[in-house]
Amino acid sequence: MIISETVAEAALIEQAQNGDRHAYGELVRRHHAGVIRVVYRMCGDPALAEDAAQDAFIRAWLRLSSFRPGTSLRNWLYRIAVNAALDALRRDRKTADLEVETLSLPDPEQGPEAAVLQREREHAVREAIRTLPEAARSVLVLREYGGLSYKEIAAALDIPLGTVMSRLNYARSRLKERLHPNFTEREDD
Amino acid sequence: MTDHITQWLEAYHDGELRGARRRRVEDHLAVCAPCRAELEEIRSLSGLLAAAFPEEEFLTADRFAANLALSLPRRPAGPEPRRGFRIAWWLAPAGLLAALVFVDITFSIGTAIAFAADTGLFGGSLEWLQGAPPQMNWFASAVRLFGDRLGTPGVGALAFLNDLNVLITQMARPLMLQALLAFAYLGWLLVWWLNSWEELKN
Repeated sequence: MIISETVAEAALIEQAQNGDRHAYGELVRRHHAGVIRVVYRMCGDPALAEDAAQDAFIRAWLRLSSFRPGTSLRNWLYRIAVNAALDALRRDRKTADLEVETLSLPDPEQGPEAAVLQREREHAVREAIRTLPEAARSVLVLREYGGLSYKEIAAALDIPLGTVMSRLNYARSRLKERLHPNFTEREDD
Repeated sequence: MTDHITQWLEAYHDGELRGARRRRVEDHLAVCAPCRAELEEIRSLSGLLAAAFPEEEFLTADRFAANLALSLPRRPAGPEPRRGFRIAWWLAPAGLLAALVFVDITFSIGTAIAFAADTGLFGGSLEWLQGAPPQMNWFASAVRLFGDRLGTPGVGALAFLNDLNVLITQMARPLMLQALLAFAYLGWLLVWWLNSWEELKN
């Protein structure tokens, strides 16, 4: 974010902290895409993601007075968004019945339609992500989809840098196991 | 392939390595086929993850913000505390600790001086500090009334009880003050912890 935008955002935050709903609306418009991206990857379901994003922005509005000026609003929002997504998943009972043993990438050679196979593959990856433990999934999503650096993830989730690395390593290892075998070859299809 | 390089491969892939460490990983990758293969796996996984979520039709930012505006509740929290209050809040434990240390030191020094004066270490130079005699009224009355009948052991036991009483009386005030400060400090820690927990949850 360039300096003028940072200054403008700081002014918007101050106005919103003083109760200005229009200023908060502008902040929502600025961060909507990023928050949606994170919660969608956390939830794996668009409808659930919309609800979680709305919940996250409402929570942020209620907690805005606790936001410390000078720190990253994006990271602060992402932390709230991650928690809102996890809560949405807990409320959604369907996810509790996930059959993790059935997760595997379909073989493109066996399917009649490439598009169908692609959708099945996407589905398998999304389910594999959803079966990760919450702590590991949060770190993975913020890194892979939120584009946050390790330091930013550590700040957003309030965990040490070493924990970020170990959880990320764990998440990737689990995904590689789940999506094995041959996911590297399938990437080349 | 060494464990050392392996553990840095993800950080290298994520662009988290700088300077000498990055060069060391790159030098190693240039000569180590298994590490290159592992890096390729990480890259493939990243690509797979990126492609796993097709673009969905979400509400536009404007529409979303408009809908949200209708759902925003009245914010219960008051305005942000003033800067002076925030600084005082964060300085509170330091002030409490300083007060605790001050009370502790002055109490220790006072006790040491009183003990030294009682043993006659300063001769008569600290008589002005001693003021009223430490004996309590009940002890003086008991000795006057029953001293003859109690004998030396009885009077000695009464004197011991009296000294204990005097000691507790003298220590009570600073101890109470110390306990008060300690409770205030622990209370501050508790409030801080609860606030942090609340923020973490949200």
